[in-house]
Amino acid sequence: MSRRFTSVLIGGVLPALLALLWEFAARRGGAASYAFTPIGQIADSFVTMLQNGMLLGDLWASLRRTLLALLIGGGSGLLLGTALGIFRPLSIGVSPLINIFRQVPILGWLPLIALWLGNGDGARLLLVSLAAFYPTVLNTQKGFDAADRKLIEAGMLYQFSRWQRVRFIALPSALPLIFTGISQALSFAWIATIGVELLFSASAGLGTEMVNAQVSARTDIIMICILCVGVMGFLLNHGLMLTRNHLLRWHRSALGEG
Amino acid sequence: MDKYRNFNHQTHAAPSAGSTGAVRIENLSKQYRMGGKALNVLQDIDLSIRPGEFVSIVGPSGCGKSTLLRLIVGLDSDFTGDIRLDGKRITGTSLERGLVFQDHRLFPWMTVARNVEVALLNQKLPRERRESLITSHLELVGLAGFADAYPHQLSGGMAQRAAIARALVNEPKVLALDEPLGALDALTRVKVQAELQRIWMEAGTTMIMVTHDVDEALFLGDRVVVMSPRPGRIAQIVDVDLPHPRDRASPVLHRLKDAILAELTAEPGKGDAGLVQFPVRPRS
Amino acid sequence: MRIFSKRRGKGIDDDAAWMRLIPILCLLTLAGLWQMAVTMRLFPVQVLVPPSVVAQTFASLWASGDLQRHLSFSLSRLFLGFGFGSAAGLALGAAMGLWQPVRRIFQPTFDAVRYVPVITFIPLLILFFDVEELFKVVVVSLATFFPVAIATFDGVRAIPRGYFEVSALYRLPLHDLILRVVFPATVPPVLTGMRLGLTRAWLSLVAAELLAADSGLGQMMEMGRQMFRIDVVMVGVILAGTIGFLLDRGMQFAEARLLGWRHA
Repeated sequence: MSRRFTSVLIGGVLPALLALLWEFAARRGGAASYAFTPIGQIADSFVTMLQNGMLLGDLWASLRRTLLALLIGGGSGLLLGTALGIFRPLSIGVSPLINIFRQVPILGWLPLIALWLGNGDGARLLLVSLAAFYPTVLNTQKGFDAADRKLIEAGMLYQFSRWQRVRFIALPSALPLIFTGISQALSFAWIATIGVELLFSASAGLGTEMVNAQVSARTDIIMICILCVGVMGFLLNHGLMLTRNHLLRWHRSALGEG
Repeated sequence: MDKYRNFNHQTHAAPSAGSTGAVRIENLSKQYRMGGKALNVLQDIDLSIRPGEFVSIVGPSGCGKSTLLRLIVGLDSDFTGDIRLDGKRITGTSLERGLVFQDHRLFPWMTVARNVEVALLNQKLPRERRESLITSHLELVGLAGFADAYPHQLSGGMAQRAAIARALVNEPKVLALDEPLGALDALTRVKVQAELQRIWMEAGTTMIMVTHDVDEALFLGDRVVVMSPRPGRIAQIVDVDLPHPRDRASPVLHRLKDAILAELTAEPGKGDAGLVQFPVRPRS
Repeated sequence: MRIFSKRRGKGIDDDAAWMRLIPILCLLTLAGLWQMAVTMRLFPVQVLVPPSVVAQTFASLWASGDLQRHLSFSLSRLFLGFGFGSAAGLALGAAMGLWQPVRRIFQPTFDAVRYVPVITFIPLLILFFDVEELFKVVVVSLATFFPVAIATFDGVRAIPRGYFEVSALYRLPLHDLILRVVFPATVPPVLTGMRLGLTRAWLSLVAAELLAADSGLGQMMEMGRQMFRIDVVMVGVILAGTIGFLLDRGMQFAEARLLGWRHA
């Protein structure tokens, strides 16, 4: 038990030190101090934001955007990835296109999308969906590509039709990579959500909140939002991992072997 | 010594008493083309297998024995010559000809029962018949209690038995086995050999098994086909005229084993080309 | 492998030569369709500027020197930040990997922070550093730091114990240990980490420039947006993508050269 305690103690040295430095900078006053709000105030603001529903409202707005985009972008990625994985001629033409477009940093599309669709939620959703689309389509296709030749042969012995091969061999075989794709898509969508909210801060959301706080020099609000973004990102990923481990319990990696 | 259980199997019959599952191979040859040169993988294979017979095939690496099985089962259609099942030429794969691979190739995302069930996908059978076939075949291979286990939960021997159940559930006329016990450790192998013999005796299916293990070939087979490599040919066919179930200690088996090993290890002329010759060290 | 084709043993040579042309063909086809769509007035000119106009804009931007200016700002920030971030990441990653006490102190904080996307820190950094060069370099450094630190940490941890034992046996001084043992053993994973860091760095830089800058490729695109100049934005998008592609390929090339001794 004491071993664990010392671990925690040692691990806490750095954060404690940083917190002390922070508090010192906040109290010192002077030119730079507006950037450092005292820790006590951060805690107060946290409670306030929670109580007046601001925090949860922003959190929910961002989360909703991410999940919706995951549905749209991830869903289309799944469909296209499956088609590309099953029909090789299609993938020869389409995959290079996807790879070409993927080179553009995702937020770099925003000015273009804004010019086409204006500044509204539609533009934001499109961009975040795009962020979810790429990893999904690529990993799904890879998943189908990776279908084990040996198992396909076994299927041939039982006269599997094309559809049966997909349903009983290729698709389950692709699931681990499909999940990888979805989990990457979730991460990217969450990041892209914050990104578009930072750049287009019209509606509610954690990113919007941060930009407003930056303008009014409310570092305490910024810190709270950063914390939320991090925690939420972690929870989303963790939740997905648990789902994956359950659905793929037959797969070696889910069982922690190899 | 009637060990035949009352088994609900269409072609159930004492070995060699059934009328289906006769395999006739005539003039079979196969070539691979590698970088312009033609490699004779199999040359002029002639073999007649009686219904319900258990034929073992042994031979060194490169003698084409696995290729022969794949041709019989239809996973490969590129050959010259004739392969007939009960008089009809074979075309491609068929539910009448099954195969057990060395790696069990069970679908990892399905339970054992489901693995066996999907083999029946393309036989339009009523539900009860399907269920009874699955249950009876799992019992046959001794996995009755493991219907809901996933392949990763099974030991090597159990997984292979599941693969055998899957291969037999369609009640094929012929079952090919490609080094089915090769991936198992020595102790498990001995046990599963006995199991395989029992399964064959109960099911009565014609079986053609490729193996590296001469003991195994003799223990299980009514006849042992000895092949020689480059090009793949049948060197000799040894009759094992002993009743089933076999006694491992039988001197007949030992005598035959010596004969076969002699055939396998004696290579005329260029056989020593691959060996490293160490200079003889003078005694000091 | 393909699920439905029964193609057997086609020479790999055929595929390679033919395959390399395909992306270029795709691009050309795309550009062609794009031009056609505009010529056939499928979209109003404001929405879909034809490739010819984009090319013209590119040429004029280049001629006026604007493009070079923006690019030099962006790329200098990128390489500066990448340099700092990699150095810091290498140092911390190696330190954490080699010495238990360092790991115990830094890892918890590191793990807590690494999952926060870099762009999340941008508002905070703006408050600290104002919208100057330093701010952008810091953003790029941060983006580079985490992947490199993680890759270095993993790489150092993966060094077989035996190497260290041999070094201890020969009483290797620290700088020799780092240079002759740790460094060569960790080059492969570190390079991969740096490649990822570079990609993230470029991504974050473009985002930072879109948000708060007075020069750079991102800022050029944002200005284009505000002035409703789709052609300018398109030039920016194409350049951003091309640079990202070249950076990644460049790193892969470097990896291949430096790791020539590795693969069979």
